[in-house]
Amino acid sequence: MKPLILEATEDTPEIYFNPAENVFRMAKSSLPENAIAFYKPIIEWLKEYGNDPNPRTRFDFDIEYLNTASSKQIFEVIMLINELSSKTQVSVVWHYDVIDEDMLGLGTRFSHLVKVKFDFVAYENDDLEF
Amino acid sequence: MKEIPANNLLELAYDLFSRVKNSDFEYVYRGNFSQRMSKKILNLAETNVKNTVDQTSLRNRIYFIMVEGLQNVTKHGEESVDSENTGLFAIQKNKDKYFVTTGNIIKKENEILLRPKLEQINLLEKDELSHLHKEILISGEISDKGGAGLGLIEMARKSGNRLLYDFKPVDENETFFYFRTEIPNQTQNQTNIPSINDQRSIEDIKKLHDSLDKENILVNFNGQFNRENILSLLSIIRGDMNAGISSKKVYNVMVEMLQNISKHTNDIELEKQNRGVFFMSKKQTEFILTSGNYISVERTEALIKTFEFINSLNLKELHAYYDKILLEKDMVTENKTGLGLTDIRIKSEKLLKYKIKPINEKLNFFTLQTSITDID
Repeated sequence: MKPLILEATEDTPEIYFNPAENVFRMAKSSLPENAIAFYKPIIEWLKEYGNDPNPRTRFDFDIEYLNTASSKQIFEVIMLINELSSKTQVSVVWHYDVIDEDMLGLGTRFSHLVKVKFDFVAYENDDLEF
Repeated sequence: MKEIPANNLLELAYDLFSRVKNSDFEYVYRGNFSQRMSKKILNLAETNVKNTVDQTSLRNRIYFIMVEGLQNVTKHGEESVDSENTGLFAIQKNKDKYFVTTGNIIKKENEILLRPKLEQINLLEKDELSHLHKEILISGEISDKGGAGLGLIEMARKSGNRLLYDFKPVDENETFFYFRTEIPNQTQNQTNIPSINDQRSIEDIKKLHDSLDKENILVNFNGQFNRENILSLLSIIRGDMNAGISSKKVYNVMVEMLQNISKHTNDIELEKQNRGVFFMSKKQTEFILTSGNYISVERTEALIKTFEFINSLNLKELHAYYDKILLEKDMVTENKTGLGLTDIRIKSEKLLKYKIKPINEKLNFFTLQTSITDID
């Protein structure tokens, strides 16, 4: 299956879903006003990936900022990942800035609503700007 | 949950909003003026100039005046001991005119140096100005403030207009220097006679500055809330604050508020779409965020219901409601369920404040306000 690779913009995240390398990663900021349109191809891609997934799949979420429209869509993505867990071994790694209790809170919220296992990894952000 | 401290910002939103006509804008900044911030401050100004000026030469003249003016504020701001929030940068578009205003505290002795320079520049004709410019370049005569004279001459040349200025005493040693350039869309012949409009123009910005000062408003943007402007505004706030959880909360709440403006104005007359006002102020430990925009009368009742419902929930219920929206299926349209407002309430831990002001039979003006306690 072809990888899905999207470069980050100021308001959309970097997407790196590459089955050949077995790397599945989402990073940076997700603030598009029309989140449904942005996430549609990502959701389509994941549905197709679900037909023939790798034996082990780990999804890394490393998101700095997101708007609520994106949080709804990312939850759609997580539900698809959750469905995958009936076919193959799946895990989610939720990265968050150590000071960002809200980002940790959002990951925790998602994890409570699905079965798939979440690991939480805090990082220190020494950026001058937050 | 705590109440937002009582203030009159909800009323101020409409006062500020109504200063500006549909295709115009007004952007005022009085936060910190570090070198790093200057780029971000300019960014929002440039975006708005770019989107309203077709003529490259005019655009470049406006950019020049903005950069030069901003450099003056940055230079003086860094010299002053008490530099916090004392500078001023504003760009306004009013019909076919652009106005760039800067303001900063200077020493009384510099006022004495500046006044005759400004008076002299305003007396000169276009060709005399360029002659003086050349003369100073050749003789290498540089004033003690790093060649402020040249900068002023250049700004006068680029604006093609009289320089507007005023000095407002701060205390016995210092004075606030207002410097305003008017750039008409078409080059007009420079006139040397001070007009009543000039005085009005400078009084207007002084009045505006006073009301922003009074409420400690750091950023005020009044115009189109399209994607570019929203991102520029966000980057200003991001640069203006320290790293910390409160700043992140402010940023996140701001995203929702700014995007709400375009969402709310979706179904109204085309020229009023995306039009709104947003400002951030700081009072004691509170960052107060206020937004205002038109909404259609038909949608007002549903909106009030959503607000009242979300305000009626306690924190636990808010979290449960958030989960419920996430789990809702078949949400094909962009969310109108109040996920954004729910998130704002959770992050701010305060009730949502809002005000509806009737405008005409089709439109209301809607003001939303929230605040984040600075715990960093």
